[in-house]
Amino acid sequence: MTDITSFQFQSVDKNVSKMDVARLRLIWAIALFSLGFMVLIGRTLELGLADPVGAVRKTVATKSGRTVIAPVQMARADIVDRNGEILATNLETSSLAVDATMIKDPKGLARKLAEIIPDVPLATFEKRLSSGKKFVWLKRKLSPAQKWKVNALGEVGLKFEREEERIYPHGRLAAHVLGYVDVDGNGLAGLEHYFDDEMKAGSSQVDIGDRTLRTSLDIRVQFALADELSAAMRAHSAVGGAGLVMDVKSGEVIAMVSLPDYDPNDIRGISKEALFNRATKGVYELGSTFKTFTFAAALDEGVVTLNDGYDATKPLRISRFLIQDDHPKARYLSVPEIFTYSSNIGTAQMALDLGTERQQEFLNNIGLLQPAPIEITEVGAPMYPTNWRKVSTMTISYGHGIAVSPLQLATGISAMVNGGRLIPATLIHQTDGVREGKQVIKPSTSRQIRQLLRMVVKKGTGSKASAIGYRVGGKTGTAEKAAAGGYNEKLLISSFVGAFPMDDPQYVVFALLDEPKGIKETHGFRGGGWTAAPVVKNVILRASPILGIAPKEEDEGLYRQIAMKIHDDKKR
Amino acid sequence: MRKGLVILASFIAVAAGVAVLLLKLAVHEKEQELKALHVQIKRDQEAIRVLEAEWAYKTSPSKLQDKSLRFLALMPPKPDQIILTPAVVPLRPTGEEVDSNVDVLLPERIRKKIEEATKGKSRHKSSREGKAL
Repeated sequence: MTDITSFQFQSVDKNVSKMDVARLRLIWAIALFSLGFMVLIGRTLELGLADPVGAVRKTVATKSGRTVIAPVQMARADIVDRNGEILATNLETSSLAVDATMIKDPKGLARKLAEIIPDVPLATFEKRLSSGKKFVWLKRKLSPAQKWKVNALGEVGLKFEREEERIYPHGRLAAHVLGYVDVDGNGLAGLEHYFDDEMKAGSSQVDIGDRTLRTSLDIRVQFALADELSAAMRAHSAVGGAGLVMDVKSGEVIAMVSLPDYDPNDIRGISKEALFNRATKGVYELGSTFKTFTFAAALDEGVVTLNDGYDATKPLRISRFLIQDDHPKARYLSVPEIFTYSSNIGTAQMALDLGTERQQEFLNNIGLLQPAPIEITEVGAPMYPTNWRKVSTMTISYGHGIAVSPLQLATGISAMVNGGRLIPATLIHQTDGVREGKQVIKPSTSRQIRQLLRMVVKKGTGSKASAIGYRVGGKTGTAEKAAAGGYNEKLLISSFVGAFPMDDPQYVVFALLDEPKGIKETHGFRGGGWTAAPVVKNVILRASPILGIAPKEEDEGLYRQIAMKIHDDKKR
Repeated sequence: MRKGLVILASFIAVAAGVAVLLLKLAVHEKEQELKALHVQIKRDQEAIRVLEAEWAYKTSPSKLQDKSLRFLALMPPKPDQIILTPAVVPLRPTGEEVDSNVDVLLPERIRKKIEEATKGKSRHKSSREGKAL
């Protein structure tokens, strides 16, 4: 009995404790659930009260509360000119491929495709369509109209693949600066090649800002230069031409032209001649334009002053060379006259007084003995004698026996007129507009060179470059082309380098014609003063309003002193 | 009392559940909208790129020159036709100047409006009152 009661007691006891346990568990469960709900409530409140912008910021990039969508990522960055005009851009396009296993009537389809895409031969289509392969390209980069027509065929085996195509909206304009890309979008020339890695998407290389490459070119000036140069090239039946417009204060290349040129949109079957960049890769003996450097060196070193002069009555004979003048005056010439009338005899004597070493050092200083540093890969190395003898000194003084690229010459001339600072040329837009440069001549020498250059246009060989109102100064250059064992006097390189406005030079304009022929309008002359100088003049007339240079009446007082030292024989 | 509490609690729970579900659906819908907008913006950006390239192609200097020669009787300006500031134009009419640029004059009808508004306050200069140099 006791056993039973005790059992009962025990069981009751057990029951009670079971209830307690259950209740306890229930309380725990409720507590946990409540806690969970509290967390949820708390989180809901937090989300409800939180700053919506901040919450969104984590998922989408925003800017001051507005959602910003990343711009369309193309495989290559755009290239624009200094004003933001598009020079090269990537556009989406479609390429046509085929799964040849799904084609039932290859011949019939090939005929239809050949009608739509005429630049691929019928046989190619037939071969590819009946190849039995799973994937064969039929035509890369279709035009939208072609895509539409191919789609209308309704053939299931044909596939379109999304691709990007590089477009150069301005065609031939600035082709040599921009370069071109291959079918897979790899840069092969010009800026496209030099900045290939930077332009490709996802590159962590040098930042080219906003995924566009802003060049220093001004497409309007580029066109003015290209148009004038090609007109002169046609008129004189020249085989080639080169031209440059450069900002003397920042070294920015505003325009760079090389003729013949090519269309970078379609690079198939282009001759090497057209691809060759005469403005940077071509090196030429540029003739008398080099006298500017000889004069600058001699004046800067104090070897001569503008009051001195040299005897130019008869040609100089040195070893087997005969140095004579193209525009002989056959008299004693003052230093300004030697420059204005482009006397080789006078310049050669001046170079002798300057000395070989100082001449070499000076030319080295202004970067004429090294390849020009510029952002394209087609850069020609200058050619000069390894053994710089006395006769080399004399011929180099007037630009023979040394070959440099037009870009190097323009950079050097910029330094001569901008106050004596050598600023390396660049194709990249400089936001501040002025760059520091190495001082290569004294500002006072630069002033004298400006006066001399102005005199050449006012009174000397460069009168055809006189763009009224724009105070142009410059120097003509006419050189015979080097041929096997000497010079071919029938073939010329005629050039003109001009700077304007001469009272405060802003731009250097250079024009070169390769093998120009004399015509009736130039009385058969084909030198720089007759062929290249008018190009420079026309370019200045067209480009000045664009570049913001206003025509102005000239301050004659600037040149009075130097003008008195130049005697015009015809006037007497 | 206790029963009421349970009913109330379950009612709140169901209501809250429904509200959260509706909220979720609404958010989902907004997200879809946003996604669609993104797609639309991308497509527009693509279109803008194409249009910009086309604009550059059609306004290329060589094409503009060609059109200008064909349709306009305009020649390049001569240096003596270019002046530094409009102020030196002979017999230039005077008038109300634009605040931001003194070289720009307001057109006649706007000038008249201003004149009417300021009538009586001050006599306005006649626009034909030429200024000879």
